[in-house]
Amino acid sequence: MNEKDRINNQINNQIDDNLALQILRQIPTPVMAVDRDLKIIFMNQAGCSFIGKNFEEIKGSYCYSIFNSAHCQTPECRMKKVIEGEDASKAVRNEIRINDRTVYIEYTAAPLKDDNDNIIGGLEYILDITDRVRQEQKLKEQSRIIMEISTPAIKLWDRIVVLPVVGVIDSMRAQQMMDTMLKQITKNSSKVIILDIQGVAAVDTAVANHLIKIAKATKLMGCRCIISGISPAVAQAIVQLGIDLGEINTNSTLEDALSDAFALLKFEVVRKK
Amino acid sequence: MINRVIEEIFIDVCEPSDNAQVIYTARQMAADIGFDETQQFLIATAVSELATNIIRYASKGIVILRLVSKMSNTGDIQGIEVTAKDNGAGISDIDKAMQEHFSTGNSLGLGLPSVKRIMDEFFIQSSPEKGTVVIAKRWGQ
Repeated sequence: MNEKDRINNQINNQIDDNLALQILRQIPTPVMAVDRDLKIIFMNQAGCSFIGKNFEEIKGSYCYSIFNSAHCQTPECRMKKVIEGEDASKAVRNEIRINDRTVYIEYTAAPLKDDNDNIIGGLEYILDITDRVRQEQKLKEQSRIIMEISTPAIKLWDRIVVLPVVGVIDSMRAQQMMDTMLKQITKNSSKVIILDIQGVAAVDTAVANHLIKIAKATKLMGCRCIISGISPAVAQAIVQLGIDLGEINTNSTLEDALSDAFALLKFEVVRKK
Repeated sequence: MINRVIEEIFIDVCEPSDNAQVIYTARQMAADIGFDETQQFLIATAVSELATNIIRYASKGIVILRLVSKMSNTGDIQGIEVTAKDNGAGISDIDKAMQEHFSTGNSLGLGLPSVKRIMDEFFIQSSPEKGTVVIAKRWGQ
């Protein structure tokens, strides 16, 4: 036994076994252990109150019959993995149903070993992350709303409308853009619509497909569509993707697009004398 | 050659708005490796392509972004590895799916071939039982 082991041993011996058990029982997060057949052999107080049962009631029951979680009896079950000797000690998300209520949890499993290092079962501790998941869902909903309201159509000049596109385009948003644009065309009898995509985070083939469709639809309504804000990155992406933008007019800047629009409508900007 | 994983981020993809997180995370990772803005945009585009495919064909799956490094003659180089996994119906003919202008959905049919073009390494496996896995890597300088 080397020096380090001896010190560790001393520390271990100083903790009373009884005290250790008390700590484990009272630790304010559910802790459970099962044997190799997934029968419950230990559940601390927090665990019992978490599922609303006495330990006597659940002792010896299969853990999946108690928790009935999304991972139970699937290859996802981390408990089964660690018992079989796999490395699955990372915390993972799961959801369980207790009294018809969905509870989101995060659990971490580890093998339970005897003194000879044989795996005799598994143990896990559980964190209730319902609040966190609710927050995330809220955030997701909010980001969806932000996306919805971030499709403004601005009348820039007589019969010229600009639609700045920022962020990520998905099919739902593309549909919104299409609706907004087509409505604007009839409302303002627009002749030129400028779609500025400088702030778009990525132009993949789905996005390009949407842009092409929007341009085609505006054309059907007798309106010209200019796509501006084609940065060097966007230009390269479009070439790499092999997308043919065909007859759609494009410009690198909104300024160029506007001067093109002026030319199309035969406007002239003259400095005041 | 063994790649070392420096950082990894798991992103569940189940609705179109999840794509935003995938894109921004990929861009940030590409920026951290030192790719210039154009390359960041291209990598984000390739990653977005894979995430969009998951939503379109499998409705849900997972995208794993990894910052990896490997030894080369000129020393350690870093790269970005994207894994897109789903349990969808799988691709019935991978060779066809890798052809330009082939699509079973109503799309341009340029997606997978362009991901392969943008990235340095590309691996795809698909079966009706296990779904589809795409792993693509792009190495920095």
